[in-house]
Amino acid sequence: MTETYEIPTVSMVSRVRAALHEVIDPELGVNIGDLGLIYAVFVDDDTNDVTVRMTLTTPGCPMSDSIQKGVKFRLSMIEGIGEVTIDLVFDPRWNPGKMSERCKAKLWR
Amino acid sequence: MMPGMGMAQKSSTDVRLPLAFVVSGLVAFLLAQSILLSQTSALASHVFRIPTVWMAAHFLLLGFVIMIVMGAMYQLVPVAFLVKVWSQKFGVIQYAVTVIGIILFSLLLGFAPAQAYVGAVVIVIGILMFLFQMFLTIKTQENKTMITTFVLGALISLFFAIIAGFFLAWNIGFGEILAHQPLFMSHLLFGLAGWFTLLIFGFSYQLIPMFSLSHGFSMKGAKPAFILYVFGLVTLILSFWSGASILKIIGFALLFVGFSAFFVDVRDILKNRMRRKLDKPLSFSVLAVALGYSIHFIAFAFAVFNVTDVAAWSWLVFVFIFCWIIFSILGYLCKIVPFLWWTHKYSDQMGQPNVPTLAQLVPEKIVRVLYIVFLISLAGLLVGAIFSNFIMLLIFQILLLVNSIVYVGVIIRIFRL
Repeated sequence: MTETYEIPTVSMVSRVRAALHEVIDPELGVNIGDLGLIYAVFVDDDTNDVTVRMTLTTPGCPMSDSIQKGVKFRLSMIEGIGEVTIDLVFDPRWNPGKMSERCKAKLWR
Repeated sequence: MMPGMGMAQKSSTDVRLPLAFVVSGLVAFLLAQSILLSQTSALASHVFRIPTVWMAAHFLLLGFVIMIVMGAMYQLVPVAFLVKVWSQKFGVIQYAVTVIGIILFSLLLGFAPAQAYVGAVVIVIGILMFLFQMFLTIKTQENKTMITTFVLGALISLFFAIIAGFFLAWNIGFGEILAHQPLFMSHLLFGLAGWFTLLIFGFSYQLIPMFSLSHGFSMKGAKPAFILYVFGLVTLILSFWSGASILKIIGFALLFVGFSAFFVDVRDILKNRMRRKLDKPLSFSVLAVALGYSIHFIAFAFAVFNVTDVAAWSWLVFVFIFCWIIFSILGYLCKIVPFLWWTHKYSDQMGQPNVPTLAQLVPEKIVRVLYIVFLISLAGLLVGAIFSNFIMLLIFQILLLVNSIVYVGVIIRIFRL
C-alpha cells in the first residue's frame, strides 16, 4: 500500500523570507537575510500585499536605494504577491548580533 | 512610520557629477607627475619654489586632490549626512568654473607667473561656489554630528587656504602685499593640514566602520582630535606671523596630539570590526593614516630640534602630500569609483542574477601590486632626495608615473564593466 502525503502550502511569509536570502549586499557580498537586516515580514492574507520591515547596517549606507530596489525586484518575482512596501527603520539599530552564524563566519574568514 | 524611514531614499545623487570630477582629477594626476618628471634635476637640487614645480604642484593639489575630493564630497555628503545636494545644476557650473580655473591658474603659474592672479580669480570663484554649495547642503542636515564638525572645519580651512593663495598670486603679480613668507606658510598649512586632514578625519569615522563593518567602537577621541588639531593650526598660524619659535613647537605638538586622538579611535574601530580581512583599497587608506601620523610626529620633532633646513621641510611636505593625502585618496578612490559606477549601471538590476558585487569591479591582485609599487616609488624618491641622487630620483619618478598610469587604467576599466 502506498502512503499519500499532502504537500503543504508554503506560506507567503516563508516564500518572502526565502527570497530575501537571495538579495545580496553588493559591498559585503552576503545576503541581507543572513546579515540580519530583515526585522519583520507582514502579509495581508486577503491581498497578499507585503510589508518588509528592515534596516541597514548604518543610516548613512550608500547602498540604501539599491538594496531597497533589490528587495522590491526580488519579491515581485514571487507568484501571487501583491504590493510590496518597505518600512525602513533605524530603531532598533542594527548590530552584529543580528547576523547569522554563517554570515559571521563568512565575514571573519 | 518609524524614524529614519525614507531618509536614505532622498539622499541619491546623480553620479555623473562626481564622476566628472573624478575623471578630470585622474587626468590632472598624470599631467602633474609628467611635469614633475621633467623637473627631476630641480628636485635633485631640492629646488621646489620655481614656476614649473608650482605648476606641477597645483595640477596635483588642485587638479587631482581637490577635484577628487570635491567629486567624493558630492557623493559622500548626501549619503553620510542624509541630505540632498543643494543644486545639481549649480554643481555642474561649479565643476566647469573650477576646471577652467585650475587649468588657467596652473598654466599661468608655470609660464607667466606674473599673470597667475587672473587664473587665481577664476579658481577662487570655483571654490567659493563649492563652499556655498556645501554649506547650503550641510545646513539641511537634521542631526549634526562630529563628522559634520570635521567637514565644516575642513571647508573653513579651504576658504582660508584659497584666500591666502590668492594673495600669494597677487604678490607674484604686483608685489604689493608684504609678508610673502607667512602668507605662503599659511596657505600650505590651511591647504594641506587644515583642509585635507580635517576632512579625512571626519569621513574616516564614516568610511572605515562602514567598509570594515565595525560596531560598538568608541568615538571619544573625535572631539579632542578636532579641538587639538584646530588649536594646533591657529597656533602655527600665529607662529608664522609672529616668528615666535615656541609657538611653532606648541603648534606642531597640538597637531600631533590631535592626530593621536584620531589614531586611537581608528585602532578601536578596526578592533571592533566584523570583517577580518580588509580589502586592499581600505587597507591602503588605513596605512595612509599610519603614515600621516608618523609624518606629524616627524614635523613635531623637526620643530623641537629647530630644523631650519629648507630642503628637509620641503621633502617633508612632499611626503605629507603623497603618503598622507594622495595615498588616502588612492585607497578610497578604489572604493568610491566602483560604488558610483555600480550605482549608475547595476542599481536597477539588484536582486537579479549575475549582478557583480562591488569587489568584483576592482582587480584586487593588481591593485595590491600597484599599492606596493606606490610605496616603493615613494621610498626610492625619499632615499634619492636624501642623497641628492639624480639617477635614483629619475628612476623612481618614472616608476611612480608608470604605476600611476596603470592605476588610472584600472579605474577607467571599471567604467567598462
